[in-house]
Amino acid sequence: MGVMRLGYVHVRVTDLEASRFHYGETLGMKVVHETPNQIYYKGWDEFDHHSVVLEEGGVGLVKLGYKVEKSTDLDAIENRAQNFGCITERMSTGSNVAVGDGVRIVLPSEHVVELYHEIDYVGTEVGLLNPDPFPRHLVGVGVPRIDHALITCEDPAAQERFFSEVLGFRPVERVVTELDDGDLIGSWMSCTNTPHDIAFIKGENGKLHHFAYNLTDWTAIKHAGGIFAMDDVSVDVGPTQHGITRGETIYFFDPSGNRNEVFSGGYQTFADSPPITWTADQLAKGIFYIGRELNERFTSIVT
Amino acid sequence: MPSVTIQPDGIRTDTREGETVLQALSRSGYGFRVGCRRGGCGICKADLLDGEVDYPVAVSDTTLTDGERATGACLPCRAVPRGDITIQLRDDKLRCCSTLLASIYGADSTKGSC
Ligand code: FES
Repeated sequence: MGVMRLGYVHVRVTDLEASRFHYGETLGMKVVHETPNQIYYKGWDEFDHHSVVLEEGGVGLVKLGYKVEKSTDLDAIENRAQNFGCITERMSTGSNVAVGDGVRIVLPSEHVVELYHEIDYVGTEVGLLNPDPFPRHLVGVGVPRIDHALITCEDPAAQERFFSEVLGFRPVERVVTELDDGDLIGSWMSCTNTPHDIAFIKGENGKLHHFAYNLTDWTAIKHAGGIFAMDDVSVDVGPTQHGITRGETIYFFDPSGNRNEVFSGGYQTFADSPPITWTADQLAKGIFYIGRELNERFTSIVT
Repeated sequence: MPSVTIQPDGIRTDTREGETVLQALSRSGYGFRVGCRRGGCGICKADLLDGEVDYPVAVSDTTLTDGERATGACLPCRAVPRGDITIQLRDDKLRCCSTLLASIYGADSTKGSC
């Protein structure tokens, strides 16, 4: 099967202490490990050791980690990535806290992705035996888990080809400049049953647009909005609904200016689901279905 | 309290203890093009023509480099005036988003438009 899901997002932050409040108290993630310049977090419904790593010094994405089903998947992916023309490097156990051997790949877009099979198992906060549906002492939004990331790249077509040929993702929704021979300017791709495990839109190489947390439903999105207002979180857009993915959303910024999202809903997609196409003239509706207007921030700000 | 004057419109408003330039302007009914409001994206970058500012909360040094600081660039979303200051917006004008707030907080609401 290959890649199973997004496992971790590693970002830079300017102020570790301010970030600690945002990711710990506002979003409600739990600290699982610390070094002098890093904090490792997990959501309450995630099994693995961590899903978000903050590193002090600047803003933006350090790397994304995707977990593969079998250790032999790593050899196959490494091979395909090299044939694709990417720079790859083997990472060994310990080069990431709690993560086993893996392959590090520099994408055509200059982003770094790590594939791994082993990571320390911690378990969810409700356990595996007769579990309650949620832990009773959630803090802030109480995010259960991370969901996806959106990055920018100069050549979305090459990026889409990489994710499909090397990592086995499939395009779920695509934006083209026009039908018949138009250029690809965005792609939402999946390796699971959700409408996106990665997305990219045309823009500067190596940049992060946002990474997202999955919430249960629209009511949870509204509740998150309330917490954001209480904690003076800088909100970008929302609550609203996307046309692309149909998900419900609020976009907001962490204290360093990295964009985060809370996302719920969407639909299920399958290996035989044909991709959905949007034309660029409908992009505003695709991104913000209800307001049908793109704010300038949304397409211009990346870190 | 230190005042902030924004060029090219010449709109002037007072700041409160610890308030950033952006917070003071928003409270006074004014807005301009901003992004993250957290010192990370550089969208709000402007030029400090007069006076000095502090950054009580760290901003990314890739967003505002030492060289830029030395030549007077600032990030109004995080900059707190040390005394009276004058700032020149880049490629943008201040907009009056609320004439009500502008009239309450004393800024000149006849300048700038929504
Ligand atoms: S709005 Fe992003 S740096 Fe000021």
